[in-house]
Amino acid sequence: MNIKRLINVVLTLVVTMLALLVLAPLVLALINSFKSNGEIYTNILTLPDTWLIDNYVQAFVRTNYLRSLGNTVFLVVLSLTGIVLAASMAGYKLARTKTKLSKILFTVFILSMLIPFHSIMIGLVKVTNDLHVRNSLVGLAVIYVGIGSPMAVFLYHGFTKNIPREIEEAARIDGCGELQVYTKIVFPMLRPITATIIILNALWIWNDFLLPLLMISDKDKYTILLSTKMLFGQYSSDWSKILAILILALLPVVIIYVIMQKHIIKGVSDGAIKS
Amino acid sequence: MKRILMVLLLPLLAISLAACNGGDDTDVVELDVFMSFPRFQEQFEDYFELFEAKMLEEENITVRINLEMPSSDTAQQLLEARLSSDDAPDVFTLHAISNIPEYYEAGYLEDLSDAAFVDVVYDSVLDSVTFDDKIVALPLESLAWGYLYNKDIFEAYDLTPPATLSEMETVVATLNANDETPFLLAFQESWIPQLMMALSLGGMINSEETDFIANMNAGTGSYADIDEVFGIIDLIMANGTDRPFETGSAAGSADFANGNAAMWVQGPWMSGSILEVNPDMNIGLAPLPVTNNPDTTMINLSTSTSLAVSPTSEHKDIAIKLLNFILDEEHSSDLFSDLKFNPLATVHTYESFPWVDEAMSYVADGKAYLEQALPDGVTDVTALMLQEYYAGTKTQAEVIEAIDAAWASALTD
Amino acid sequence: MKRVNLSLVLFCLPALLLYSTFVLFPAVDGFRLSLTNWNGLNPTSEYVGFSNYRELLEDKMFLQSLLFTTRYVVYMVVLQNGIALFLAIIIESLRKGKRVLRTIFFFPNMISMIIGGFIWMFIFTRVFPQIAEFTGIMLFNESWIGNPEYSFYSILILSLWGSVGYLMIIYIAALQSIPQSLVEAAEIDGANRFQVIWHVVRPLIMNSITIGIFIALSSSFKVFDQVFALTGGGPGTATQVVSINIFMEAFHMRSRYGYASAKAVVLFVLILTITGIQLIVMKQKEVEY
Repeated sequence: MNIKRLINVVLTLVVTMLALLVLAPLVLALINSFKSNGEIYTNILTLPDTWLIDNYVQAFVRTNYLRSLGNTVFLVVLSLTGIVLAASMAGYKLARTKTKLSKILFTVFILSMLIPFHSIMIGLVKVTNDLHVRNSLVGLAVIYVGIGSPMAVFLYHGFTKNIPREIEEAARIDGCGELQVYTKIVFPMLRPITATIIILNALWIWNDFLLPLLMISDKDKYTILLSTKMLFGQYSSDWSKILAILILALLPVVIIYVIMQKHIIKGVSDGAIKS
Repeated sequence: MKRILMVLLLPLLAISLAACNGGDDTDVVELDVFMSFPRFQEQFEDYFELFEAKMLEEENITVRINLEMPSSDTAQQLLEARLSSDDAPDVFTLHAISNIPEYYEAGYLEDLSDAAFVDVVYDSVLDSVTFDDKIVALPLESLAWGYLYNKDIFEAYDLTPPATLSEMETVVATLNANDETPFLLAFQESWIPQLMMALSLGGMINSEETDFIANMNAGTGSYADIDEVFGIIDLIMANGTDRPFETGSAAGSADFANGNAAMWVQGPWMSGSILEVNPDMNIGLAPLPVTNNPDTTMINLSTSTSLAVSPTSEHKDIAIKLLNFILDEEHSSDLFSDLKFNPLATVHTYESFPWVDEAMSYVADGKAYLEQALPDGVTDVTALMLQEYYAGTKTQAEVIEAIDAAWASALTD
Repeated sequence: MKRVNLSLVLFCLPALLLYSTFVLFPAVDGFRLSLTNWNGLNPTSEYVGFSNYRELLEDKMFLQSLLFTTRYVVYMVVLQNGIALFLAIIIESLRKGKRVLRTIFFFPNMISMIIGGFIWMFIFTRVFPQIAEFTGIMLFNESWIGNPEYSFYSILILSLWGSVGYLMIIYIAALQSIPQSLVEAAEIDGANRFQVIWHVVRPLIMNSITIGIFIALSSSFKVFDQVFALTGGGPGTATQVVSINIFMEAFHMRSRYGYASAKAVVLFVLILTITGIQLIVMKQKEVEY
């Protein structure tokens, strides 16, 4: 029995150590973001002598923080709205229609989940040029809806199959049209899976880098990641400023995670298991 | 009768005149300008405001310039995508030597031979933006470059810029003996190590190996024919600062400005960021020796970033006026000296920088050549290979093989 | 058309339209482009048959990137799953602190690997040398970004840091779904902890392991951000993964869109084949139990 307890203690220690190691880079980035470059050069592992706020003031101005934050939020919200609307309609109807066409359409949606982004990247750049939807946040959101829909369709499809049809039928008998049945009856019932889809896609779009890099060239339309990447290149050795910029870029994610971590972890694990 | 007519007509006339005027006032000419100069965003924004004011004042046209400054990573890709999808910006930057031929053949460059700026640009610079006997761009950056050196360090040990490889070895030995690092290495961005090849290749093919490019294009040449260039490259790499892959151009400028090394194979385009760190830095500029033949030690003359107008622009006249305004008699000198660009037109009256004068003294002695274009992609591959050469993941033979292959591949399509 | 089908099409139309425009069409067009010599610049291009694919076979940089990617994938699949499973089992066996630990280990998953990469760049280039000075351990003094042998591990560390938590969450969910009675029954029969894990737990979470390996396989074949942020594929092409190689070929070097498209097609076929084989093999194994 004692050996078992000893093993437990050791394992707990190992895991706790690992957890500290996972946090270490973030903590080091945070404390050093308040130092001057001179102090970073000499005392990287200690708390700052004086806490410099100036790094953050500069980072805030140079990244045009509110602007790029606003752009990112706008992009994510618009994309999510599109994905939820388009995919819930399609997923619900596909699950409820038992025809050959419905099977074919469903397969077509599923297929794309296997295509890696890098394989459509070049064709996508071409098509967005031809349609003139590049360098626009709305255009980018529309592309996200296109890329993000299949997975959401799949999840909505699976979820709809498990909810009973009776309520819909009753509404139809009461004289509701197809669209009304969907908006008034079905969509509210899909809420749990909608939450999962919102969490998964918000994480993906918020952190997606390559697509905005290829699409957005105007500084005023930069997302947080793009403006961070830009300044990282320009500052290169000026770590005190870069770290402040990186912490600012992380801030929204940290806040949301702290508030919603339970939902996020649940959403992520639901999403992974269902797909 | 006449009077009645006048009474009737006058209001009409007034209305139509007002309408006309109103039309002029509210008509906004939008000009899309695409530049790959994110580090100079502020300067160009300010300058374009001057242009907008001038147009409004002198010609009563409201011009609004939409300036797009993508990061240098993606600038060329974004531009080419827009050109090829019929969505060209009205005015855009390109590289005079490497882009003009291809863009011209594809029909993306307006003939600017009749524009006013042509009269003020020096003929020697104009050559580099002339293609098919037409002037197709306004040169912005005209360069005379070699490597940079720290004049104070050189003076401290009584050194002068060496004229041959063995003299360079002596300089390096002296510096090492005095605990000075001879060369600054900033290899994080691959274009920087590439500069060593650009200079040494230029020195070789304009002195000893004049047939090199012709041979390469005929498929009979190889970089093995000019493998002497590795003499200087090896010397630099063996006597440089530590951890070069963690040092980018900005960090390199700061290190060089702080005197961490005596020499940096880097062009004068970095002088702005060097002086920002250390305004008192004495920057010297000299041609890089390649072999023990002093004839290979030459200054590179070239024109890089230039401004072109799209033939599909709806406001070509305004676009050309903007180009002319870049070389405006009153304002151009301020802009160019602020950007630390070399004077390239008669309107440039600002005092030139000491390193430019130094470079020009070599040019006056005939120790200079005009940069030649290499096939598309060769420079990129060279850049990557030199990084790997330093990292030790590619041998000299492998580097040569890869560059030869890139050249051959560029010729086939 | 039947009425049901009409209403189906109308409901699917928005998703289908955008999906076709921005995924299906580019995918098909990518294949068409791979048979041309389009350079992204000229308005026109020529049909060149399969010559791009033939060129691929001799493209040293591409083959090298394939090799590098494969090495990365192997390490990732093993380590990502191994560490995630290890953490899941231990965290689940703890009485206290489960939630805190789970929250901490998942946290890096919330972070963009571009930002995470820059932060680790700071750790590798600034913190490590000072740790070396402090402790005298020379391992910390290596060039973790500039020396390709070490930067492989830097990329690996960053990737694991950013992805282990995700699989851990999946494995924790799988462990929680195991009926406690089964474990207890085994313990009563005298099985020790490792025997319980091996004989009782393992078969029951095989399904999740299949998912875990699938996720690790497909995501690490596509790795981009981590390499882009840390080394950019350098020095030179020494740490280039396939996605970076395609990106460079198309948008950086000579804009050979046609040739780069051929590489993209190869990447697609490769991922499809390997994940396909994995799913089939693993599904068969699951049936055995």
